[in-house]
Amino acid sequence: MKAMVFSEKADLSSQMLTLFRNTFEMDLYTTSNENLLNFGAKNVFKLTGNNLYVDNISEKLAEMYKNNGYDIIIIGSSAMGREISSLLSEILHLEAITEVMKIEPKDGIIATERFFYGGKTVIREESEAKIFTVLPGLVDPQPVNSSSTENNISIDKDSAIKVVDQIEKPKSSVNLEKADIIVSAGRGIGKKEGLAVIQQLADVLHGEVGGSRPVCLDYHWLSEERQVGLSGKRVKPKVYVACGISGQVQHIAGMRGSRMVIAINKDKNAPIFNECDYGIVGDLYAVIPKLIEAMKK
Amino acid sequence: MYNIIVCFKQILDIDQMKVDESTQEPILKNLPYRLEDLSKNAIEEAVRIKEKYGGKVIGITYGGDQATLAMKEALAMGVDEGIILKGYKENNPEITSDVLAKKISGMQYDIIIMGNQSADSYTGLVPGKVARKLSIPLVGNAIKLEMADRRVRITRTGEEKNLVLESNLPALVTVEQEINEPRLPPLIQIMAAGRKPMKIEEIQVNVKSTKKVIWNRAPKSERKRIVFEDVDKGVAEISKVLKGEVK
Ligand SMILES: Cc1cc2nc3c(=O)[nH]c(=O)nc-3n(C[C@H](O)[C@H](O)[C@H](O)COP(=O)(O)OP(=O)(O)OC[C@H]3O[C@@H](n4cnc5c(N)ncnc54)[C@H](O)[C@@H]3O)c2cc1C
Repeated sequence: MKAMVFSEKADLSSQMLTLFRNTFEMDLYTTSNENLLNFGAKNVFKLTGNNLYVDNISEKLAEMYKNNGYDIIIIGSSAMGREISSLLSEILHLEAITEVMKIEPKDGIIATERFFYGGKTVIREESEAKIFTVLPGLVDPQPVNSSSTENNISIDKDSAIKVVDQIEKPKSSVNLEKADIIVSAGRGIGKKEGLAVIQQLADVLHGEVGGSRPVCLDYHWLSEERQVGLSGKRVKPKVYVACGISGQVQHIAGMRGSRMVIAINKDKNAPIFNECDYGIVGDLYAVIPKLIEAMKK
Repeated sequence: MYNIIVCFKQILDIDQMKVDESTQEPILKNLPYRLEDLSKNAIEEAVRIKEKYGGKVIGITYGGDQATLAMKEALAMGVDEGIILKGYKENNPEITSDVLAKKISGMQYDIIIMGNQSADSYTGLVPGKVARKLSIPLVGNAIKLEMADRRVRITRTGEEKNLVLESNLPALVTVEQEINEPRLPPLIQIMAAGRKPMKIEEIQVNVKSTKKVIWNRAPKSERKRIVFEDVDKGVAEISKVLKGEVK
């Protein structure tokens, strides 16, 4: 089967090319400027243009899909990827399934697995869908020895949407997916200064600091790449320490792969205590210094 | 003055959902419904546009028998009129987008607001599909929204940078959780909401989907769940365990 693969991101592109190398013959379409020629795609098409956005990219991809006889479209799951998949599904009248962790083709039917009920369950579906978005972080990208053919495609059509400003964000500094130990802060820290004690605990444990969505996205106390959960990173450390995190399904979906979970929360009915191996009911500002003290002994 | 449409969804209360220990399947019986999280942000934003720039908000939900509850909550939050499209059976973006677009295509509107993904199924397909069916721009993932000169301007989050985007109206805007803090309507508003216009229309679905559910179950949780209410004892035990893990 011939697959059209798209992502605007280099890491997601190389992950998808690694993941589906043995299942499909793939061409990669990307707006990324990084070198993606050695991940097993037959062709790499670089999309260029002045005002690239989801609408004109989707229209170009639809045209390439029709012209090049692809059987399936695989897109990296990001806000942009999901939007493109929804537009493509309308332009081409093809069914789409988003945020999948698995794609298994068999006799014209494709089986997929994805999170459901906010991450509480995993759902397996079979369909004749042709468009899929794939979650990030499912594999480590592995290069191959051969090289793809490089092509350029320019998109001349303007987007209906105008970018009037761009606000740069601080660059990524951690890779939580690789961390052995993670100490995560939730809304329960109450104030940004509360991160100091979280960091101290992470230091004695030689771990990294992570956070729940409110801490990263609402209050910006931590940067976005430290967000653990359904819409953040899916982590699998040896030890995950959740401090002041209630344990809503969307958070659990991101840390379920942890080998051991420790929870500190002042509410003994917090759902996190159902998802932990060890828990302490108490004020994190009282508990954590004691824990640090005990670890130093 | 803007004609604002907000589309929202009612979901099962996933935070109260329990799992059957023998089958690992979620127990759906007697589980209450609630207004979906991002739908609340969408409603809040629609009402704020009306409050700031003037206009009228029409709320649309495609739902089941309980949808009136969700609609009343939306009306109490400030939505002016409600339309319930009845006949929802399953999570299927093909069907939902078709039902919504068919309804909206016969209406007057400047801006449509939706959540960018829903808290239960997390598909994120409906807004783009509706926008494309209506041939209007999709302006996605707003954490800030302003209207000016009959245009909409949003700040869109991205991993490396945030983008400030502008589009002509009509447009469909999706919102993220961080855009606002949805209001909790006071009792008096919830009572008054009952007097606002609310239409119920039965929907016949004629969209084909090839999707079949094979299974839907929770990953096994084998956590020990040893919880200490005595802090000192907990610290002693847990530090011992941790020392075994940390070199
Ligand atoms: C579509 C969607 C996607 C989402 N994706 C994610 C995601 O990727 N990641 C994520 O985390 N969330 C996600 N969420 C949000 C999620 O539903 C919860 O709102 C969020 O996880 C709650 O974060 P929290 O536990 O830090 O805060 P809260 O739920 O407010 O919990 C704070 C906890 O701190 C405790 N506490 C307070 N003070 C103290 C103290 N002094 N000492 C000890 N404990 C204290 C409280 O008892 C409480 O349990 C998503 C939601 C939606 C709708």
